[in-house]
Amino acid sequence: MSESFQSRLAAAKKASEQLLEAVGTVIVGQHEVVQQVLWGLIAGGHVLLEGNPGLGKTLLVRTLSSCLDLRFSRIQFTPDLMPSDITGTNVLVMGEGGSAGGRFELHRGPIFGQVVLADEINRATPKTQSALLEAMQEHSVTIAGVRHTLEEPFFVLATENPIEMEGTYPLPEAQLDRFLLKVLVESPGDDDFAQILRRTTGAPAPTPARVLGQTDVLGLRALCREVEVAEPVLRYAARLVGASDPGSPAAPELVRRSVRFGAGVRGGQSLVLAGKAIALLEGRAQVSFDDIKRAAPPVLRHRILRSFEGEADGVTTDRVVAELLGSVERLPANVAHAAAAS
Amino acid sequence: MARRVRGRLWLGRALTGAAFGLCAGAVAAGALWWLRHGELRPFAAGLGLLGALAASVVAMRKRWSDEHVALYLDEKLGSNEQIVTALGLRKESSEAAVHLRQSAVAALGRSGAKLRGPKVLDAPQLLGPVGAAAIVWLSLAPLPPAPPLARAPGVERVQRGNVKGLELIEALRDQKGRSPEDERRLRALADEAKKLRGELAQGMEKREALSRMAKLRDSIAELRSELGKEQNRQGLEAAIAALNEHPESRKAARALGDGDITAFDQEMQRLANQAEKQARESAKHALEEAERAAREKGAPGLADALKEQRDGFDKRSAEADALRELGRALAGKLDPEALEDLKEFGASGDPKAARRLAEAMGKALSKLSEEERKRLAEQLQKQLQQSPGGAPSPMTQQELEDMARRLASPEGQKELEEQLREMANPEPSREAQRDGALGEAERGLSEAERGLGMVPMPMPGSPGEAPGKSSGQGQPGGKDPGGPGSHHDSGSGDHAGQSQAVAAPELRAKANVQRSGVGPMHAATLGRAPARPGDTANQRGTGSLGSVAPGEIGAVEQSEVPEEYREHVGRYFEP
Repeated sequence: MSESFQSRLAAAKKASEQLLEAVGTVIVGQHEVVQQVLWGLIAGGHVLLEGNPGLGKTLLVRTLSSCLDLRFSRIQFTPDLMPSDITGTNVLVMGEGGSAGGRFELHRGPIFGQVVLADEINRATPKTQSALLEAMQEHSVTIAGVRHTLEEPFFVLATENPIEMEGTYPLPEAQLDRFLLKVLVESPGDDDFAQILRRTTGAPAPTPARVLGQTDVLGLRALCREVEVAEPVLRYAARLVGASDPGSPAAPELVRRSVRFGAGVRGGQSLVLAGKAIALLEGRAQVSFDDIKRAAPPVLRHRILRSFEGEADGVTTDRVVAELLGSVERLPANVAHAAAAS
Repeated sequence: MARRVRGRLWLGRALTGAAFGLCAGAVAAGALWWLRHGELRPFAAGLGLLGALAASVVAMRKRWSDEHVALYLDEKLGSNEQIVTALGLRKESSEAAVHLRQSAVAALGRSGAKLRGPKVLDAPQLLGPVGAAAIVWLSLAPLPPAPPLARAPGVERVQRGNVKGLELIEALRDQKGRSPEDERRLRALADEAKKLRGELAQGMEKREALSRMAKLRDSIAELRSELGKEQNRQGLEAAIAALNEHPESRKAARALGDGDITAFDQEMQRLANQAEKQARESAKHALEEAERAAREKGAPGLADALKEQRDGFDKRSAEADALRELGRALAGKLDPEALEDLKEFGASGDPKAARRLAEAMGKALSKLSEEERKRLAEQLQKQLQQSPGGAPSPMTQQELEDMARRLASPEGQKELEEQLREMANPEPSREAQRDGALGEAERGLSEAERGLGMVPMPMPGSPGEAPGKSSGQGQPGGKDPGGPGSHHDSGSGDHAGQSQAVAAPELRAKANVQRSGVGPMHAATLGRAPARPGDTANQRGTGSLGSVAPGEIGAVEQSEVPEEYREHVGRYFEP
């Protein structure tokens, strides 16, 4: 029984490595970004990718979907995009020859895919953005009063440009909270940049192999839920999230000064789920303190709302998260002291 | 593994506690060494054991939970919280739980054997050997020498060959007293002073000497204030009231109320010197009334003193008359100052003027020629004949004849000169002599105390030792050469000069009491110390309750009466 569980862990680790390798045949560098996207996929959450145009966000999602034997759809968000353009609509189909007796037929929108790319999500109006809300949270959509369940796994990958750019609509907090992770896509280094140039200016790259199917992904998600979390690790995650609240006595000075709202309960849940995903991808059956620490920046950065003073001071949420990680102790003081001394 | 972790933690804490205990033991051993409790020093090492026990108790109370041990092991083995997670799942039977338990056991088996556990030795434990060594050293070190015992104040011995001032007390041996009992007490004082002088010459404790001087002071004060004692109080007040009835004797009443017998005697001398017969009779009558009142009110001693004054009053009056008659006869031979004194003596009877006049007349008599002397005798005879009905003055005819007869011969003249010298320094009354001697004895006692290094308490009535010196630029027109304190300056110069500091042993503050200055306020004040306007405010009692003087303040407060009884005792002494 134990060996079976261990083999499942090993298989999960191997599958993740294969997936990373397959994506790596197309995407140069960005290993951390790809890994974080994978955390989101396995943990059953959705991922928001933020970065400047041209950094390969869309390519990454398309490559990932190519590696997964899942139905892929893409929505290009524009200011005139309507909610029904996402969810779909009932279309009246006339009888033959235009005779009466026509019927309404559902034309499903792109949301009915399994891997949905919401490209440049912050270019659409909030009304349209909110059309994603039900789908992301409930994994179902309602069209003309009829509820339609989306096929699992349902995984939304959204990209957005930095909100300071023109023609963008900041995502509402409620919608941001529904993303498990917010992944920052950084510019590649010189070596990676050269490699990108080589690959994109030569012969067309081969299509990556399909590594995981629908069953595999669902199995990984189920196994992720079986990963155990020790009580001290859970308390650590809770202390981290709690300290992000400026009203908390444990909040560091930077949080009290620069944060208006901290991460809530959903942030804690996401932190543990992301930690479990990390542990699973490393072939472990338990979450460690380090898993929580690794998961904290992408999980918490979009859940912390800065105050006016914080924004004026240029304090980023990543800096706030780093401050939290530095101030909240993992171990009880006596244990930490003994461990450091011996 | 958990046992090893907990055991090492306990051992480390016990060692730390023992180290601190040994340090405390070293401090205790040092204190015992300093306090010279040598036999107890080795037991200070027991504090080390106590410290270890206390630390063990603390370690038991702060014993790590299983979770803490697991966290420690995860941290040290780098097992990614595998052990603590497995610990939380020890009762679970899921696949993941079983897998985690097996993994944790494997991890502990793989690396646990190499893990030594928490650090046992720590830097503070180095204090243990240091403390133990200090205890050993302090236990073997010789004890410090005992410090010399602090000497009680005043135990030092004093040796004085000749203590100045005590001779004034010894002089009381020859002083006549009011009664044989009084004379015995005066002699006892003199004997005590003589004995003290002898012991001081041989050497004695300073405190003993000062104590005996204090007793002497008490005894002297008691003798001086006998007239004001409780049993004499009513008689004294009755006598004062009787004297106050007559305007001439009010000053005398005031002096008597102050207990100043010398001033009282001088005032009676002044009254006897008065030329006006009616005034003298009035004063004499006042004395008789005062004597009778004192005797009726149960103050026989005071009555005797007043009787002595009354008895000597006629003699003093006769001497004053003789002086005036002779002065008138010698008027042409006296210098202007003597004539002024004659005039003043006639008007007020001032004893000082009498003294100066007698001295001037003695000098004038010694310069008379034979012829002038005979002429003076004839003139006196003529004065006698011009008043056939009797003497023109209170002097008897016999006395005038006697004076004229003496002037007729050179021997008689010498005799008269001698008599005039005696008149210049009239003998005070026996009571005044006694009071003056006791005052001198008190002054001598203060001097003796100063000789032993003690600052004596200011006593009522002790005069300043240095005369006042004025550097003002005015031209004094008065005759007085300047006495202690002040003189009447009738000059017209400005007074911008500044007096130098008076080198007197004490300064007195005058009480500015808005009361009638007619007389003392006996039986009129509510305080414990009778006072009168213009009296000094710093008269301090001697502390001897048996000899509270009328002018004393704070006598009860200075006494040895317990504080809780002072109010009651003070009420008893209220006038």
